[in-house]
Amino acid sequence: MDYDVTIGIEIHCELKTRTKMFSGAPCSFGRKANTCTNEVDLGHPGTLPCLNKEAVAQAIKACTALHLTIDPLVRFDRKNYYYSDLPKGFQITQQFHPLGRDGWIMIDTAEGPRRVGIERIHMEEDTAKQFHLSSVNETLLDYNRAGTPLIEIVSRPDITSGEEAQAYVEALRQTLYYIGVSDVKMEEGSMRCDVNVSIKPKGSAHLGTKNEIKNLNSIANVGKAVDYEVGRQKQILESGGRVEQETRRFDEATKTTVLMRKKEGNVDYKFFPEPNIFPIRLDPEWIRQIQASMPELPEARKLRYEKEYGLSDHDINILIANKELSEFFERVMKSTKNAKSACNWLLSDVSAWLNKHETLITDCALKPEDLAKMIGMVDSGKISSAQAKELVDDIMQGRDPEQAAEAKGLKQVSDSGALSAMVNEVLDANPQAIEDFRNGKDRAVGFLVGQVMKKSRGQANPGMVNQLISAELKKRTAQ
Amino acid sequence: MEEKKDAAYFKRLAHQLMFDLSDAEAEDIVKEFDTLGRQLTLLDAVDTEGVEPMVYPFEEETSFIRADEVSNVISQDEALANVDKKLEGHFVLPKVVK
Amino acid sequence: MMIAEMAKDTAGAEKRCEAAYAKAQALQPKLNDVITFVDPKEQLAKLPAEGLMRGVPVALKDNVCTKGIRTTAGSRILENYVPIYNANIVDRLAAAGAVTIAKASMDELAMGGTNLTCFQGPVYNPWDQTRMSGGSSGGSAVLVASGVVPMAIGSDTGDSIRKPASFCGVVGVKPSYGRISRYGIIPYASSLDHVGYFTRSIEDACVALKVLAGRDDRDMTSSNRPVPDYPALLNSDLHGRKIAVFKNVIDALPNPETKKMFLDLMAKLQERGAEIGEFEFRDDLMKAMLPTYYLIANCEATANHSNLDGIRFGVRQDGASMEEIMTNSRTKGFGPLIRKRFVIGSYGLFQENQDRLFRKAQKVRRLIVDQAYECFRDYDCLIAPASADIAPRIDDASRDQLSDGYLIAENHMVIGNFGGFPSMSVPMGFEQGCPIGVNLTCRPFEESVMFGLGKAVEEITGYRDLTAEVK
Repeated sequence: MDYDVTIGIEIHCELKTRTKMFSGAPCSFGRKANTCTNEVDLGHPGTLPCLNKEAVAQAIKACTALHLTIDPLVRFDRKNYYYSDLPKGFQITQQFHPLGRDGWIMIDTAEGPRRVGIERIHMEEDTAKQFHLSSVNETLLDYNRAGTPLIEIVSRPDITSGEEAQAYVEALRQTLYYIGVSDVKMEEGSMRCDVNVSIKPKGSAHLGTKNEIKNLNSIANVGKAVDYEVGRQKQILESGGRVEQETRRFDEATKTTVLMRKKEGNVDYKFFPEPNIFPIRLDPEWIRQIQASMPELPEARKLRYEKEYGLSDHDINILIANKELSEFFERVMKSTKNAKSACNWLLSDVSAWLNKHETLITDCALKPEDLAKMIGMVDSGKISSAQAKELVDDIMQGRDPEQAAEAKGLKQVSDSGALSAMVNEVLDANPQAIEDFRNGKDRAVGFLVGQVMKKSRGQANPGMVNQLISAELKKRTAQ
Repeated sequence: MEEKKDAAYFKRLAHQLMFDLSDAEAEDIVKEFDTLGRQLTLLDAVDTEGVEPMVYPFEEETSFIRADEVSNVISQDEALANVDKKLEGHFVLPKVVK
Repeated sequence: MMIAEMAKDTAGAEKRCEAAYAKAQALQPKLNDVITFVDPKEQLAKLPAEGLMRGVPVALKDNVCTKGIRTTAGSRILENYVPIYNANIVDRLAAAGAVTIAKASMDELAMGGTNLTCFQGPVYNPWDQTRMSGGSSGGSAVLVASGVVPMAIGSDTGDSIRKPASFCGVVGVKPSYGRISRYGIIPYASSLDHVGYFTRSIEDACVALKVLAGRDDRDMTSSNRPVPDYPALLNSDLHGRKIAVFKNVIDALPNPETKKMFLDLMAKLQERGAEIGEFEFRDDLMKAMLPTYYLIANCEATANHSNLDGIRFGVRQDGASMEEIMTNSRTKGFGPLIRKRFVIGSYGLFQENQDRLFRKAQKVRRLIVDQAYECFRDYDCLIAPASADIAPRIDDASRDQLSDGYLIAENHMVIGNFGGFPSMSVPMGFEQGCPIGVNLTCRPFEESVMFGLGKAVEEITGYRDLTAEVK
């Protein structure tokens, strides 16, 4: 039996503003409990909401980057329900008139790039943080997070697999990160992802029962959770059962989705327009200014790199996945023409060094010119790439590669005279290898190259040595 | 499905609003609901075809939005001033089941 | 003494405020109009050198948040609430040198018209203590009417300033929506709530508004319009003024004495040069006024008070879970009338009901407001008695909720809330020794016109600085 899989994703993203969505208290991360609030965030009687301009600006950026049509009349609504982390007993959101509608984003799939539709983006406010302290069997509430500006991004149910779901979330994360509106770290909660999954027999007119998966804490788990859930639902239908409407969570340990609660009908949130905020007419010139000053988006950067640097798709994708790294790459490219080499160094040795030292590319001492210089030293044969690897630690700490190479005695011997002498010495000392070569054992070449490298303490130009040895071997075995 | 608007119904509704009604109070609301029904016929008698709901007393759009600067933050003590039970700067509740 | 004179009398400030504080306490057993007394000593020590209300004792309805001073909104659930911030108007009053000596009693959460629902019991009318003061701003009205303070803050959502003003013989002002900031005022229904006040004269009303009015960025619905110099603009010249008698209300008046009193006043206004006409609202709109108000108010109120759950402030009742704590706190903390209103309000907001109930009421609201603007196209003011009768006796339960007379004659002032029109009650006359007021409603932000008309009424009736002698 073939199935159609329908997946929709809702993402909540904390905006990087100084203050809350509706009050002048500071946004916080990791501060002492209840030190970043005021009477508005605590939902004290008599308080009123006051909209944050920067939050609107950032939401506009998000809408623009994802190609949504922006509604220039900003209106808010109340979503009413009772919960300990909801101080007013309602959340101020945009139910009826979201800031943006009808956008899209491109994702990469095994079958090539495709568009996923984005139904809407709207602004709302975050809830307080609560956590359970088992030592006293009580729940503690911290209102620092209450009122933090959020945007909610709702996809169209265009997604059809775990792979696509993951690609969608990653593409969205990258875009939001590039425009600088959020830290978008799922592990820290600045980006939260809820996925709705339903399946139906292929060609059937009726959509299947939706199950919601919550509390996904990493992008990697998005794909796994979806794949598991689709499989689970398929199994139910194949065995003649019925999929119940449930809210499930992804269990890290078992890599399965687990029932959180059954959905008993739909909750009535009694949405109605927020009476304490008059509709706000956004100045079209202000919107234009925001849009004009937006940083380069990943998709634009990708195209530019294809044109300017001629790197492969694969390399570009990995490079631009880290915004700061790709920006560093561009600075390196001001001093060298070897894009492939710059890219490789950054993605391998430099990244490894940064991980090991738990540093970011923006915080380390590496100078772009130094990396470029080192690349130049390899390209001109001054040092081998193996020798360059020994200089990584130096340049990462801000030392000039030429001086470091000098200090370490790293230089490549590329003088054919000196190399020929060494080649002859090694061949003279290894008659068995020459015999092996005569008998067709080509790996004798490698062995002999290694011997020359050893003799030269790694300083011989391996390429040249290889050529010279091959030539000399041919000469000596010609008779 | 049309639910019967009896005392039990209103008790359930109240409970959803996080408070309870006594039997007498629930019965009272059943009566009041009847009165409401009669008042509503007066409302229904007004033809509102093509009329937009009026949310605000004036329909003046504003353009002011607040600048993103910290303007009002209270201390942890002030935040907790109105509760008896606190733990290391937090509000305290019995374990909340999600 | 009027407020302006008091403000200039710097030497007398301390004595005046302490006398007001003492008088409030002395009258409390008879009137029960104060929830929390505020000793003026601290404020007197910090008085500015000068101010429009320097050294003037005032009272605040107990839904006005005062930092460090208990604020209950008349409800048990807030019986222990001490605000951590000041309402905007509290800061304005302090800057002007006013001294708060009491937090005044009110109907629980401002949801009532009798002031019989406060957790500490009824407020008594100073003119006749067997009668109610009216509400929900009853305590404030009484503190002014009994001569304790010359000005007291109230709030008006359906007529909660203007009705008690009528019953207590004082000036009760509900300015235009947004004229005075609502930041720090414990709400009832956000789109209908207005902050206002009571005084014993129109000139005092002008000073009060000058102090209280103005843009507050923390209230996004507060007006950016500049605040006129009301006292300087006060002018009771009626030539060129066109006043519309509210025909539906007059026709429905059950009490012929009130009607005569009112028509006499109209004749005198006409003598002074005003053009008196009449305006008739559509009958179906008049009858729909109360249900429109009831639905919008209850629906918004239910949502507004969802924050009262005992978790971060207020009286918390114990429970084994979050739900139990919230439920126990709200059950014990809200009176039965409040809980009833919340149930109705919530019912009106259910998705399946909203079109038929809440949104329908909002549509009728628009039609009513449109009609009012039709009137104001040709007239500067809509006028009618503020109440059909004097204050009802507290024991009198025989008020038919649905008869025409009740519906129309007692509920018309809500038009001022629906459309944000400035509206006030001014003492008009007496029946059986108790006062009745006249209600004037004008175009948005034309408070000066309204004060001018009110002054003319005051000059005609002579009821300036009327004080009840409490027996």
